[in-house]
Amino acid sequence: MNKTTVTFIVNGKEVTLKVGPKERLLDTLREQLKLTGTKEGCSVGECGACTVILDGKAVSSCLILAGQIGGSEVLTIEGLETDGKLDPLQQAFVDHQAVQCGFCTPGMLMSAKALLIHSPHPSRKEIKTALEGNLCRCTGYEQIIEAIESVVNK
Amino acid sequence: MISYEFLTTQKIEEALNYLNKFSKVCILAGGTDLLVNLYKESPRLSDFDYLLDITNIPELKITNLINKFIEIGPLVTHSRLINELLIKNNFPVLVEAANTIGSTQIRNRGTIGGNIVNASPAADLLPPLIALRAKVELTSGEGKRVLSLEEFLAGPYKTKIQANELLTKIKIPLLGDNYYTDFQKIGRRKALSIARLSLALVTKIDKEGIFQDTRVVPGSATPYPQSLPETEKAINGKSVFNIDLEEIGKITSKEMVSITGERWSTPYKKPTIAVLIKRALKKIIKEAKTNE
Repeated sequence: MNKTTVTFIVNGKEVTLKVGPKERLLDTLREQLKLTGTKEGCSVGECGACTVILDGKAVSSCLILAGQIGGSEVLTIEGLETDGKLDPLQQAFVDHQAVQCGFCTPGMLMSAKALLIHSPHPSRKEIKTALEGNLCRCTGYEQIIEAIESVVNK
Repeated sequence: MISYEFLTTQKIEEALNYLNKFSKVCILAGGTDLLVNLYKESPRLSDFDYLLDITNIPELKITNLINKFIEIGPLVTHSRLINELLIKNNFPVLVEAANTIGSTQIRNRGTIGGNIVNASPAADLLPPLIALRAKVELTSGEGKRVLSLEEFLAGPYKTKIQANELLTKIKIPLLGDNYYTDFQKIGRRKALSIARLSLALVTKIDKEGIFQDTRVVPGSATPYPQSLPETEKAINGKSVFNIDLEEIGKITSKEMVSITGERWSTPYKKPTIAVLIKRALKKIIKEAKTNE
């Protein structure tokens, strides 16, 4: 089993790591970089808990091998806050009580962030489309959508 | 336990060299099917010793209009299909189908080439691509060959690609004037759903309102997506003003069952496929009448 060396940027910082042939981006983030904010849910790209932003796009980190992402830029939930201040989306989730058990929250936030990067003023329908790959089993979708809308309307 | 060596490259030539040099190579593109199969250790995975990642080959990501053909690189993602003007303006049926795939995360990663080579009976892009008469370009160390997509597909999850070949282009001829297209899909739910049944319709309607050059391709209906020539023949020559949709629906159902035989899903799919062809035709007829 060969290991490959990959260099990529995580939350603004360049890292060079040895990764195994079966190591998923999700594993690298959680096991090697200890960025455990990204969660493993279904492991097959259906629940969205492991969503991160790869080169500006929301992706499931369980469906990407770490060896594939040399030269790319990854943003995880840990990279959202700046200088100890929460991202407006994170603050809105707190203010709108859009968090119940919290397991889906990092994925939800990363999907929402990816949407706002490309379209700062999305419609409610566009917000729902952006979140269609993120499951919340506490079923708190209303509050989540309201939280995102509150940032959009600011 | 599945075990393999990981290979990656940024050049087509190098990828072809790997395919020549090693046997039992599995190609990795968007990974939205392959990584699921790896995780589940699915029996659908063929035995392989090397995993060749092609996602970083820029040449395979290009879209272009050349000699009345739109050429699409196999690594173009579903999200790009949806947003590229060249595709939107010429093949809205492909955009409609791409929009129904998985979720935002899946569409951002899954590719048109992967959808083709994976050759799932439920692949969302295959019915519209076959109806658009798409061709695939396969490249190996020995050269290139071009096959029609319908010819390329060999069975459920099976294609005619050789072990030393790479899918390098998808070529779709531009539709002429007065062509209309539609895509219908039924899933168990809206988001993240795999097609229970889908249908692509491409047809020309001339100035007198007569259907010509009709192409009907269902998905998840037959072992792998293929045209329905009897249905196409029945629609051609009919007029948008008095086509008997009920009769066309019956012909479509009958033709589907003649390919699949009676299966456990037939009591559901037989009437439902009739609904889909009627819906698609109704939509197109309405559009054609407004354009009159």
